[in-house]
Amino acid sequence: MVGVGNPILGDDGVGIHVVRRLRGRVKNRGVFFEEALTGGMNLVDLILGYDKAVVVDAVVGEEKGLVKRFTLSDFETVHSSNPHGMSFLEAVDLAKKMGENRLPSEIVVVGITISEASSFKEELSREVAEAVPGAVEMVLSELRK
Amino acid sequence: MKTVVIDPITRLEGHGKISIFLDDQGNVENAYLQIPELRGFERFCQGRRAEDMPQITSRICGVCPVAHHMASTKALDDAFNVEPSSAAKKIRELMYCGYIIYDHILHFYFLGGPDFVVGPEAPPEKRNIFGVIEKAGVEVGKEVIKHRAYGQKITAMIGGKATHPVCGLPGGVSKPISEEERREIERMVESCVDFAKFSLKLFDEIVLNNKGYVDMILSDPFTLKTYNMGLVDEKNRVNFYDGMIRVTDQNGEEFLKFSGREYGEHVAEHVEEWSYVKFPYLKKVGWKGFTDGKSSGIYRVGPLGRLNAAEGMATPLANKEYKRFYETLGGKPVNSTLAFHWARLIELLYASERALELVKDPEITSSKIRNPVGEPGEGVGVVEAARGTLIHHYKLDKDGLVEKANLIVATTNNAGAINMSIRDAAKGVIKKGVVSDGLLNKVEMAFRAYDPCFACASHTLPGGLALKVDVYDSNRNLLKSVERL
Repeated sequence: MVGVGNPILGDDGVGIHVVRRLRGRVKNRGVFFEEALTGGMNLVDLILGYDKAVVVDAVVGEEKGLVKRFTLSDFETVHSSNPHGMSFLEAVDLAKKMGENRLPSEIVVVGITISEASSFKEELSREVAEAVPGAVEMVLSELRK
Repeated sequence: MKTVVIDPITRLEGHGKISIFLDDQGNVENAYLQIPELRGFERFCQGRRAEDMPQITSRICGVCPVAHHMASTKALDDAFNVEPSSAAKKIRELMYCGYIIYDHILHFYFLGGPDFVVGPEAPPEKRNIFGVIEKAGVEVGKEVIKHRAYGQKITAMIGGKATHPVCGLPGGVSKPISEEERREIERMVESCVDFAKFSLKLFDEIVLNNKGYVDMILSDPFTLKTYNMGLVDEKNRVNFYDGMIRVTDQNGEEFLKFSGREYGEHVAEHVEEWSYVKFPYLKKVGWKGFTDGKSSGIYRVGPLGRLNAAEGMATPLANKEYKRFYETLGGKPVNSTLAFHWARLIELLYASERALELVKDPEITSSKIRNPVGEPGEGVGVVEAARGTLIHHYKLDKDGLVEKANLIVATTNNAGAINMSIRDAAKGVIKKGVVSDGLLNKVEMAFRAYDPCFACASHTLPGGLALKVDVYDSNRNLLKSVERL
């Protein structure tokens, strides 16, 4: 389970908040928790070798604070963009093309909707903070599947 | 006045916007790159513990966390008045080489390079790593991925954490390198040296052997005669980690040489009301607007700026390439914006060779990795980020808390030059109000050479990285809008 985000960029860091809540709540030693500050190929590196990956990240949406479940096929462009705009989706695609055989057979994205993050702060906005418990529950149910 | 807006820019971190202003005849008058502001960073830093700054500042940006971490750590060395141990400096520099290796590989194969490798006239959806693999082969693709990962792994092993290092402390680093790690790093960097040589050969075959490309590199729209800036060692050779800041003029002669602490005496920032970005210029020359030449204080940083600001490379193979670079492109300085790509590969070779030297140095596994710190004060740290000179400047109070923090980042140093390059490229494709189809490609090529990075951590899902061009008439009415997803 990987929480993605920048913890000093307000709502952008919500994925990190979620993973921090989850740690200690899961006893299964086969489940690993990671925090990732960037997406793209760095994110792909983190999930290699696992059976299933649950990625929690902020999603820009019209309404703040919604929790949504995606699979990669739901995205046209997944903009999780380090290095420089190579999206998570493209990075997964690239890894497949290069014959990478350690990709998880299932990749699920739990997205929490935010507006654009443009201020440096550590706190989440009220709407996004209120969505964290729902995201935690969704991840837990994914981990049980 | 007509305005052409490109917003946001594809394949760059963060979102930028290009506005192109036309005169009454419909020809390009000026072009500006506008960068969205991430608000409140300096305020965010105030009152923080000094030793947290290398972690905090490394999070500004998802692309060059290592550069910020290092500039910040060096600013703390200075602020706590401590010289790191010799082993610590080598460990830091070795990690830094790992960062330059992966970052330069990324830029050449994923971002700027595809314009050449796949071809400037190729459709945009092909001008990416997938297009490169199609043209150069899957085996090349595998090598690209492998060596990028080596660079990442070196920084993670030494830095203590993937992508965002936590090893830098004032006076040294937090952990030594074990013999086992040393051997693994040695194996990886040996391979990186070969890969860098291969990349230069690929550049020869695909770019330099193609007259059309060489003509484009040397053409007027892609030429700027600015000053050049970069860190150099005691023999005026390129150095990423440490040294003096050297500025050379349009004839390649030394114009200024100063330490990080003196940057405020030599560099000032010009403000334009339409931009959040400030435009640094050389104080001694002055701000003369967006123009090049000896009388304009605008300078360039990054791979081309560094090569021009130096007198050579400190490793043998890279130095040979350095000489060939100037012989091929007509002597020093090289003013062709597109030569940034070649310069970047020469630096990739240098970073790989330098890493190999460092990892073979007996001191690299030393446990003398930290010197005791003095009283907190004021400090400046300068490194060469992949994109150019990066400066961190902190003022600490007596308890070691941050009172003031000022950062001049690499892309900002290039801001004036980037605007001119965009303007000149746009001139070639916008005539009498007619915007030809090549606009996006040419303008993109012009700024992508600089590998600009507009901050900062915008990794949010899904959010398209679209490219949008809006054309306005002289009254700023929207005439035309072109969009690319």
